[in-house]
Amino acid sequence: MIEFQAVSKQYSAHAVALRAVSFTIARGELVYLAGPSGAGKSTLLKMIAAIERPSSGAVLVNGQDIGKLGRAGVPFLRRNLGLIFQQQKLLNDRTILANTMLPLLVTGAASTEAEQRARAALDKVGLLDRAGALPLELSGGEQQRVAIARAIVNRPQIILADEPTANLDRASADKVLDALRAFHAVGVTCMISTHDDLMLEREADAGARVIHLDRGQLAALAPPLIPAAQAAP
Amino acid sequence: MKRWMRQHRFAVKAALGNLGKSPGSFLFNVVVVAIALALPFAGLTLLDNVRPMAQQLSVAPEISLFVTPATTREQALALAPALHAILKDQGPSQSNKAALVFVAREQALETLKAKIGLADVLGTLGENPLPDSYVMKLDGFGSVADAARVDTLAARVRALPGVDTVQVDSAWVRRLAALLGVLRLALLLLAVTLGMVVIAVVFNTIRLQVLTQRDEIAVSKLIGATDGFIHRPFYYTGALLGLCAGIVALGAVSLALRPLNVAIAELASLYASQFQLLPLGPVGMLALLAISATLGLAGALLSVQRHLARLN
Repeated sequence: MIEFQAVSKQYSAHAVALRAVSFTIARGELVYLAGPSGAGKSTLLKMIAAIERPSSGAVLVNGQDIGKLGRAGVPFLRRNLGLIFQQQKLLNDRTILANTMLPLLVTGAASTEAEQRARAALDKVGLLDRAGALPLELSGGEQQRVAIARAIVNRPQIILADEPTANLDRASADKVLDALRAFHAVGVTCMISTHDDLMLEREADAGARVIHLDRGQLAALAPPLIPAAQAAP
Repeated sequence: MKRWMRQHRFAVKAALGNLGKSPGSFLFNVVVVAIALALPFAGLTLLDNVRPMAQQLSVAPEISLFVTPATTREQALALAPALHAILKDQGPSQSNKAALVFVAREQALETLKAKIGLADVLGTLGENPLPDSYVMKLDGFGSVADAARVDTLAARVRALPGVDTVQVDSAWVRRLAALLGVLRLALLLLAVTLGMVVIAVVFNTIRLQVLTQRDEIAVSKLIGATDGFIHRPFYYTGALLGLCAGIVALGAVSLALRPLNVAIAELASLYASQFQLLPLGPVGMLALLAISATLGLAGALLSVQRHLARLN
């Protein structure tokens, strides 16, 4: 599903974000990307979404080489991805319903269908009753759940979450992780970056796969965690 | 097709929504663009009114000759063969428009009475003061370069016996036609210059919109919006701005014609004319609105290409 082949990313002679990183993530896996700030976690996720291009090596998503993807092909790649950021990147002058509808509207979906699906997505993250609220009227954790609703409304194959629990209290962080785990449980491939050691320890104990990055290099690979429904022959 | 329509409907709604967020700024831009458009629109309206007048005038050269008062009708009519010969010598006729017309003095008096409305004054004259005359309509003398040939013909006519005065009637008409040509060129240059002003104003308006919406643009890109989806609302905004400004400019020109026509009516009455400036017809107006919208669209296109490329 996602394959990194000796991927390096160099912004300048002194700024190297990734160094010959190679790994594979199978369809339906839940993978945590760990490492301190500056380890290259965000760069790695950005490459999967074609926000950044590799300086060398190849990034394959569903067999498609992202480095060779043309400008016109990028939007269609991203429609199969659900992107969640530490700063939620919500549009503050629009209701959370409108924010959640946006990924559908950009594809040309009818507004009635978009609203229906957006309401369903908000329901899944427990925020349907706040559909008419503006983002700034919500707490940080609620805003992050809106971002998750927006990420999954298009029924993506892959969810990429960059530090989704940073700046959240433990209870809010747990709700966000529960929501992501719920999508993983129905077969969505999830890749979550974090530098929350406590959370990583807990997830690793539960058998989750963790990819550790340190100064742009792969530190360790843990065994994959695939939902039972998918892993079964 | 449905999806395409929906995308465009969404873009129009987004454009209107953006304009609704800062209506004062939009109105100000409409007024600025309308002022720039009003000048060429007014010039075009003026030319459109003057052109039919100029077309009614004879641009083809004519030579009028008047016989002396002492020349009898028989002697005047006897000039015809010689004049025909001169007409034949002018060269091959291009459209068989060359003609010789005899105007009897009685007919000339009636025409004069009808033309300038001085029937009462002319009626007080004891006898007809006008001489018999001929009008020679020439062919194949369309350009300014032919003026010398016309003068040669006029000199040959002047040399005939009994001829008192010879007038080359087309000279002032040709000057008017040349003047209108200069005016048309000046108007075109003015329109091009002010068209560039319109494009510059729309360019800047869209630049500001791109800057204020850069977060929305960034988010849209991340969730899979194509360039077309992001660019379209700006294109509609530019076209809408041009269209609204065009409507305001046409309205302003039409309103300005009213007081202008009061002054023109006074002037025209001195020449026994009822000349009035009329607004452009519906086709002309629609064409100008289309041009205004196109200028707005062009400004938006340039701005989007430049400023969104920077955001990328």
